[in-house]
Amino acid sequence: MPESRNSRLTRPETLTAVGIIVVAAGFLVPTYDLRAISALLPAAMLIGLIVLSVFLLLADQRKASAGEDAAPMTTSPKRVIGAFLMIVSYALACDFVGFYISTAVTIPLVAWTFGYRSPVGLLIATVIVVGTIWAIFDFGMSQDFPTGRLWGR
Amino acid sequence: MKTPLTALALALTATAAFAEYPDKPVEVVVGYSAGGGTDVMARTVAQFLEQELGDGASVVVKNIPGAGGQIGFTEVSEAAPDGYTLGTFNLPAALALTKDRAADYDVDSFTYLANFVEDPNTITVAATSPFQTLDELIDAAEADPGAITLGLSSLGGNDHFAANMMQDASGAEFTLVPFKGASNARTAIMGGHVAAGTMTLGQTSNFPDDLRVLAVLADERSPFRPDVPTAKELGYDVQMSSLRGIVAPAGLDEATTDRLRAALSAVNENPDFQAMMAEQGNPIAFMVGDDFAETASKQDGIAARIWAETPWK
Amino acid sequence: MYSDLLHALPDVFAWTNFAAVVIGVIAGIVVGAMPGLSATMAISVLVPFTFGLEPLVALGLMAGIYNGAMYGGAIPAVLLRIPGTPAAVATTFDGYPMAQKGEGGFALQVAVVSSSIGGIASAFALMLLAPPLSKVTLLFGPSEVFWVAVFGLASIIFLLGGNPIKGLISACFGVFVSVIGSDPIYGNDRFTFGQLEMLDGINIVILLVGLYALPPVIDLLETPLKTDGVNSSKLGTEPIWKALPRMNYWKTWLRGSFLGIWIGILPGAGGSMAAFMSYNEARRTSKHPETWGEGEPEGVAAAEVANNADTASALIPALTLGIPGTAVAAVMLGGLLVHGLQPGPMLFRDNPDIVFGFMWQFLFGAILLVLLGGSLATNSFARLLNLPRPLLGSVIIVLMLIGVYSIHGRMFDVYLMLGFGAIGWVMDRLKFPLPPVVLGLILGGFAEENLRLALRIGRGDPMVLFQNTTSLILVALTAAVVVGPTLKKRFIDSRKKA
Repeated sequence: MPESRNSRLTRPETLTAVGIIVVAAGFLVPTYDLRAISALLPAAMLIGLIVLSVFLLLADQRKASAGEDAAPMTTSPKRVIGAFLMIVSYALACDFVGFYISTAVTIPLVAWTFGYRSPVGLLIATVIVVGTIWAIFDFGMSQDFPTGRLWGR
Repeated sequence: MKTPLTALALALTATAAFAEYPDKPVEVVVGYSAGGGTDVMARTVAQFLEQELGDGASVVVKNIPGAGGQIGFTEVSEAAPDGYTLGTFNLPAALALTKDRAADYDVDSFTYLANFVEDPNTITVAATSPFQTLDELIDAAEADPGAITLGLSSLGGNDHFAANMMQDASGAEFTLVPFKGASNARTAIMGGHVAAGTMTLGQTSNFPDDLRVLAVLADERSPFRPDVPTAKELGYDVQMSSLRGIVAPAGLDEATTDRLRAALSAVNENPDFQAMMAEQGNPIAFMVGDDFAETASKQDGIAARIWAETPWK
Repeated sequence: MYSDLLHALPDVFAWTNFAAVVIGVIAGIVVGAMPGLSATMAISVLVPFTFGLEPLVALGLMAGIYNGAMYGGAIPAVLLRIPGTPAAVATTFDGYPMAQKGEGGFALQVAVVSSSIGGIASAFALMLLAPPLSKVTLLFGPSEVFWVAVFGLASIIFLLGGNPIKGLISACFGVFVSVIGSDPIYGNDRFTFGQLEMLDGINIVILLVGLYALPPVIDLLETPLKTDGVNSSKLGTEPIWKALPRMNYWKTWLRGSFLGIWIGILPGAGGSMAAFMSYNEARRTSKHPETWGEGEPEGVAAAEVANNADTASALIPALTLGIPGTAVAAVMLGGLLVHGLQPGPMLFRDNPDIVFGFMWQFLFGAILLVLLGGSLATNSFARLLNLPRPLLGSVIIVLMLIGVYSIHGRMFDVYLMLGFGAIGWVMDRLKFPLPPVVLGLILGGFAEENLRLALRIGRGDPMVLFQNTTSLILVALTAAVVVGPTLKKRFIDSRKKA
């Protein structure tokens, strides 16, 4: 049985191709403000991306009409989204709250959430990682990490 | 009501507040990566400034590279004017880039403390070049306008302004070729890929056998190369150079300003400092306070004029 | 000058100077082995710190780190398919399949021996041939460098993978990213959206960490209980002297060293390009090219010999002309300048003990690599990477942040890296090949810059690109090596069909 119209459009490759076309077209807009010679290479690449994505789209739709199922991007979308969210929040936390606090919280939190539940192991790992980073970067090289924008400078 | 005791306390805190500067590390922001000419100057100055400020003062260099120094210059201009954030300042680059792109600072955003280095631009050709004198080069450029290529390090810097002013003074037309950085321009000259260049004298100094300096774009001959004539002597009144100094954010209070200016002057007078700078090939042109501010506003004017006459982007 | 070389030797053996090299090599291997940390980042953190050190101690540390990191990058490339440094991308092609087949230990041994050979060859080139090779660099003006970049870009066709459309999309994406920042001639902003942080372009490390390290981290967290792939018991380690006779890659080593040295002395191309080209060439001339990409040890050898062979040679133009051959050499040049050591012929005359001592340190760094890398890597690092997967994932996240943040000391780069990471994850899942992105980023803007400089020099006449012998040789080489085999294959294919 052929796929429904809806699922044909939500095939990952089709979505990606459409995404590339939209973004590349969006990036084409600022090239009009550039000198011709400055715009040449970026415009060529963007047009290349659009044309290639059209081919990709057609090829994927042809597969769809042939009844070929698209492989899903992931079998556990919750975990993937969760992982991405945690990584982004870690970066934001470093920026706003400070590197050392965020790191000391993030390592056990991420490892625990995703299935490593040994408290002793978590503690040891966190202490070793944070301690080593501090010893090498802060103590050894006087390299500053973000101290947190929330607390001012 | 003021009791003698509170008055005493006030007086104590007042003197303490004054005497205590600096009571935490003083940061010198460098708008370039560690290891560049400006960075090395900043580190050298920082080392001697620590001694001059005394009392175990600590002066640390902080590199905030990016956007041709603009991120660092902006950082300094926006810092609290409390004497704990200083910055290196490169002329004309720092002010030139306020002309050709949006910048959050201008010539008035800084307290000018002291300038240390002035490295004059030159007209330089490869040692194998057929041009023996500046006049020969300019004659060739006049004979076929645009045939003589000049290698520079990016548009909107002192190399570019030097080339521009040289064109104005001589009436000759050059083809300007902006490389990424002075070393690339120098290599292209040595390899014969461009005919000549306007790099600074300091950038020629380690290549005495490979480069021929035709003229120095300064008022007077350089003590490093007294054999090279100035462009002025040859009939072209052109001066351009790269300057490196130390600034603080605008609005720094007078006491701290004076303290820092005095300390930096003392740094300059230290023979060890002079020796170290000479070893690094940094020609010192010490200017303190108002002289430095005046030079900055003059450079600002030159950049504004060139941008108005021949915008480069 | 050879007497200067000998004269510099005793200083190198002063114990602090020698210890610096040893520490540097170890630190380099560690940094390279940590996904997210790169040699560029390590040396840029180190440079300001070395201001107070003796020059030979500082330079020894840097020489050691550079050599160590170029090999260390192979460790996660083999075990996790995360190249530890940009130059280790080509190592993943065969290294990771080898690890999956249970030959990870042998892959690492091939990597360490090849790295060391490449490093030694490069150090000799630096010691014995620096002045003549710098004359070769002078031959390469904008039009010649443009052709080198074209040569590199054309070799992308070997890296397209199974689906050429996806491969080309990757390549276009890479080249597009390379033009972000200020225009090479006029300085106008291109696609920076007013962000000053983007004006200098996208640093390769930021893109690489995002594209290559984030997707495996997501994998680690997505399927926490999977235990295949990384497993020290399956590494199949045997003592290195027993493994040595199995490595009969002399031709590949020779070719890779030559290519690495040659690409190193050309300004700007560096690192990953050498490894890619060496890999392509070794595969092209292999008797059984079909095994490549599926765990061919010679592929690891080809990539690793070349990425170490351009380390010292990249310093030839850096020391003699002030133009570094790789991104790491550029940061190292900063390390020299911090000590007031200005590049140029005068450097060799004024400070021969330091310059030639530095060269010796490169040689010893490369030799030490086998001794330190052999035992250290296979035994301890492989085991570290065998941590519980969620824990490993969370530690790599921290390392990625540190590695990217420390390059310029700003969070902006971290966010940028995360953006590339999201793109990388989609690309990974939909099987878009990543190497064309890397090569496109390295060479795209580089080709454009040099083309436009050449055209400016030629006052707009494109004939300037064909006016000298070096350019013509490069054009012919590109045609012979890159286009030739493709056309030949087409021709044979069409005859078969007919």
